[in-house]
Amino acid sequence: MTLYPDNLENTPVTNQIVVRCRKGDVRAYRELYEAYSKAMYNICLRMTGYSADAEDVLQEAFVQVFKNLDKLATDSSLTAWIKRIVVNHCLSYLRKKKVYFEEVGETEYEEENKVDESEHAMTVSAVKEAIGQLPDGYRTVINLYLFEEYSHREIASLLGISESTVKTQYMRAKERVRQLVKIKTREV
Amino acid sequence: MKLEDFIQQNRSAFEEEGPGPKVWAALEKELPVKQKTRVITMMARHWWKAAILVALVANAGILLTFLQTKKEVAVVIPEMQEMEQFYTTRIEQKLDELKQIPAAELGLDSTTRNELELRNETYRMLEKELAGNPGNERIRSAMIRYYQMKLELLDKILDEHNKYNNDANTNSTPLNKKDVL
Repeated sequence: MTLYPDNLENTPVTNQIVVRCRKGDVRAYRELYEAYSKAMYNICLRMTGYSADAEDVLQEAFVQVFKNLDKLATDSSLTAWIKRIVVNHCLSYLRKKKVYFEEVGETEYEEENKVDESEHAMTVSAVKEAIGQLPDGYRTVINLYLFEEYSHREIASLLGISESTVKTQYMRAKERVRQLVKIKTREV
Repeated sequence: MKLEDFIQQNRSAFEEEGPGPKVWAALEKELPVKQKTRVITMMARHWWKAAILVALVANAGILLTFLQTKKEVAVVIPEMQEMEQFYTTRIEQKLDELKQIPAAELGLDSTTRNELELRNETYRMLEKELAGNPGNERIRSAMIRYYQMKLELLDKILDEHNKYNNDANTNSTPLNKKDVL
């Protein structure tokens, strides 16, 4: 049933659904929603941090998906397109919440692997909780990079900031997560 | 272990359940599909089925008026029994053919299906009239009209159904949700 996240390429199945939606087949809209809603809801949940807000953002995003389906070029990836619409809706939600993605003065991101992370036993719940506790800006960058798998450059363009700022924020966010996870795993 | 690797390896464990049903409920109301357009499209495709019911009801009406007319109609039907035999056999044969088509595929409602039956209310009414007035030419010719009308309609239904089925087969194979998702 899931077309995402395993499949970024269009398949005969996704193509058929799009064709049927364009013909006005209500069942096809439902199938499209069923196929993507879980993964897209998870994006919204990670980005907003609240289930009620995540549902609202998801709904708005799908309204746009359904309305613009006929504008989707046949050779572009349906999954990537839907994901981009969902992410953009999440970002405008954050902007409405007055979250600003600002340039940082210095680009002083640390080298990767500077800190040996192997000593800390990570758990899914600890990592999840730690990311959830990050300030909105950091959380957005880390989510877009680690979970939505956008490159630093793509994130920079999505947030309207420089690539080096994205890198710096990402390194700081990661360091913060690492510290929080350390505390959490020690508590357990 | 690096955070990136940990997340990659446990990606699915990070996923929560999907959204609640209210999201779809709200979306359904905003689908860019006009309900009205769908009804019109459906009517365009099945117009002849609606026409059948109108024809059947109108025919029964015509027969009633016909019977109530006092004027004598000079229609001579010498071989009444033979004629009846001829029509009933053919009607029964067509009805059998029609019954082999699944009801859902045919799309006729129960009122129309009842009207199409050979021995329906109109038939029984005519039969009663005929028994009470044996040899009445008016009733006899009404009976013949009834048979002819029914036969024509059955032919039309079967024709349309075959034509539509052939069109559907050549155009596209319907997509079964269970097969593809």
